[in-house]
Amino acid sequence: MDSIDHVERRARMRYEGARLRRALIGFAPVLVVVILAARFSQRPSSALGFGLAMFAMGIVLLWYGRDLKRAVLPGIAAGLLPLVLVLCANHVKHVCLGGTCMTLCVPACAVGGIVAGLATSSVGVRHKSRVAFWLAMSALALLTGAMGCSCIGHGGVVGLALGFGAGTVPGLLKGLFSGRSHARS
Amino acid sequence: MDAIQDPTLDMLVARLADGDRSTFTTVFKMLWPPTLRLCMSMLKNEPDAWDAAQQAMEKILSRASDYDPRRPALPWALAIAAWECRTLARARTRRREVSGQTAAEPTVDGPEEAVMQQNLVQAALAAMGHLSEKDRETLVATYWDEAASGATLRKRRERALARLRRAFRRLYGLD
Repeated sequence: MDSIDHVERRARMRYEGARLRRALIGFAPVLVVVILAARFSQRPSSALGFGLAMFAMGIVLLWYGRDLKRAVLPGIAAGLLPLVLVLCANHVKHVCLGGTCMTLCVPACAVGGIVAGLATSSVGVRHKSRVAFWLAMSALALLTGAMGCSCIGHGGVVGLALGFGAGTVPGLLKGLFSGRSHARS
Repeated sequence: MDAIQDPTLDMLVARLADGDRSTFTTVFKMLWPPTLRLCMSMLKNEPDAWDAAQQAMEKILSRASDYDPRRPALPWALAIAAWECRTLARARTRRREVSGQTAAEPTVDGPEEAVMQQNLVQAALAAMGHLSEKDRETLVATYWDEAASGATLRKRRERALARLRRAFRRLYGLD
């Protein structure tokens, strides 16, 4: 017969282990997205790197639970917007206007980032979420989008981040002002 | 405190299921006494009851994330504990049969045990709530020994029991 403390410690380990197993099983389908992104990306190793970072982060958030767990699905969904947009744009390679030609990677990343930023901020404002929720959702969205935006190196990822930042501004301002008006009333 | 429905315990287990670790020790301390009592009443042997209660607590808390907050926590936990006690009792019985000894079947008696039994019945009724009207009627008729005999009815009863087992496993994660 073990002491109660020892039983509690073992039960706690089983609890954490079960949560981790649930997180792994629940998040495993996202690996398909990572594999597809690496397959269709121009830089498979970068896409795989960002994808694995996103996968690890998703597992940690699901394992931790509470508010952060609820950030996973909207974060991934928002990140899929720039990812799909960029993977499609990569098939066009480049466009020529007048005498100058350019790849569509960076503009697609920026536009995708803006859309993802708008999407995450609308979810954040609607749920009146805490900073940790916003940060978790944004990080997952950026890592998911970055799998496609590594097409021309860091430029694409920077474009995505700037676009994302711009996209979140309206939501942040809305959240800030509604918070102040609530505080006054 | 209502033995079957304890809103504080329900709320704490729901928070634990959501990932709030601050409730872990409180939930453990609230569940340990009824779990140990149930195992003592079923196994009638202190060392066996302690072993079963320990294993049950590990299983209950490892399944905490599967807990459905719409259901009362205590019957859910005690259903898992009862299953663990039965498993241990069966294993010990088999071992004693091999060594030529006789072993008692797990039984339940006394007022506290009656409450435990009530919790388990509630857990079983919750599982029955997931069955179709026809399956429920078949099982109730079987329980009251009102079911007519015949191959068709026997098959229907077997299928209803199989579905009840599946519902019980789905709800309480027992396999």
